Amino acid sequence: MKEELFIEIGSAYTNKAGQDICGDTIHFKKIEDEMRTITVLSDGLGSGVKANILANMTSHMALKFVESNMDLLRSSEVMMDALPICQIRKISYSTFTIVDSNINGKTKIIEMDNPPFVFIRNQKEQVIKNRTLTSPKWSERSLHISQITTLLDDRIIFFSDGITQAGIGTKKYPLGWRREGCKKFTLSLIKKHPNISAHDLANEIIEEAKRKEPNNISGDDMSCAVVYFRKPRKLLLLSGPPYDMNKDKEYAEMVSLYQGKTAICGGTTANIIERELCLDCEIDKTSFDKKIPCASIMEGVDLVTEGILTLTEVYRLLKHNIELKNDNAATRLTKLLINSDNIDFVIGTQINNAHQDPNLPVELEIRRNIIKKIVRILKENYLKEITIKYI
Amino acid sequence: MEKIKIEICVGTTCFVMGASSIQALEFEIPEDLIGKIEVTESRCMEFCKDHKDGHHKGPFVKINGEVMADATYDKVLDKVRAIIKKKEEN
Repeated sequence: MKEELFIEIGSAYTNKAGQDICGDTIHFKKIEDEMRTITVLSDGLGSGVKANILANMTSHMALKFVESNMDLLRSSEVMMDALPICQIRKISYSTFTIVDSNINGKTKIIEMDNPPFVFIRNQKEQVIKNRTLTSPKWSERSLHISQITTLLDDRIIFFSDGITQAGIGTKKYPLGWRREGCKKFTLSLIKKHPNISAHDLANEIIEEAKRKEPNNISGDDMSCAVVYFRKPRKLLLLSGPPYDMNKDKEYAEMVSLYQGKTAICGGTTANIIERELCLDCEIDKTSFDKKIPCASIMEGVDLVTEGILTLTEVYRLLKHNIELKNDNAATRLTKLLINSDNIDFVIGTQINNAHQDPNLPVELEIRRNIIKKIVRILKENYLKEITIKYI
Repeated sequence: MEKIKIEICVGTTCFVMGASSIQALEFEIPEDLIGKIEVTESRCMEFCKDHKDGHHKGPFVKINGEVMADATYDKVLDKVRAIIKKKEEN
């Protein structure tokens, strides 16, 4: 049987010190029908708002053109024509790296003026030959096109020049960290943690690049994206009592039979699983938080939380991409979701009448609705593969 | 003296009705009660579901097994102090 594959995309940024907005952008899109995932990293000329606009325009145009399989040279001409011309430098400029991956193995990489991508297989860099295309209209700019047949555990790493030039001019790094330095760091990290997620790897690279800068102050926008062809990390999330009580046993057995991590969201749901599987479930006081009920510990289950309040908070955290600083049940569940690739939701649809009491001090969402909202965010912003089953 | 067992329901309904403020008993125990109470939480006692035994309003707290509806921090403390007083009198 062919091994199941998942394309995990992780990205991280940091702004040039003193700027409120990043002049690099990373956008991605999954085209489900074609099993394709496209990622674009663009670095706009300069920094701040202007750079951000240039980079945003570039990456959105690039996504559209690549998605519709338009001729590359023609697309890049259109992009360069469309970008506004910088008043100071008299050029329209932003760079891009496009990674267009098909789950069945072919990945095409199109680069213009960003540092060359790093391709890692079996914990070593593999050099990929590329073809160069130049438009007669913009002769000083050329496109580099590479093609890779990817295998399980391959990684493609690409970044803006803020990373390769980190620390430039300092005694230790007169020419900056350079691609070589970044590559060495990445390889040693992968050696230490062979299964490091794309998300964590991109963040580690940014943090290391910042450490190269004098006083850790980034002298330029930095961005890094990682495309990781991995065995999917699976998660089963159960929430809500089944509509029909006779299904309780079937519901509980899903937890014991599942190959992957499991999470239970809901006090009553946890009580059902505890009863049906004869497990012991205890409140975990280390997760105490004034706003979110405590998590519980149940043997063989990775996380047990309260239902609606926790899910509502998880939705807020995911939607606004909030840094997970506190340690409570909601941040734990959010981390679990972010660190999974295939997530199977099984939702019990029995309604708890007490939640509909108009005297409650806050409005409680109906479970199905909050789950739908979470699923949409996870699909669109986090590119997760999701199934939902109602019971 | 045997500790008085306080079990706080922290299911969704009870939590929003104020169980979280009763949970303060976990961390800030009034001086006169130090060493005399044992606080635990319950995920959901499921009293909110059927209005059995005349219970109808959260938060629910069990004190030595006896259910208190519409509980507050002060009501729980009053009840605990009353139990201690009664024991001391005997």
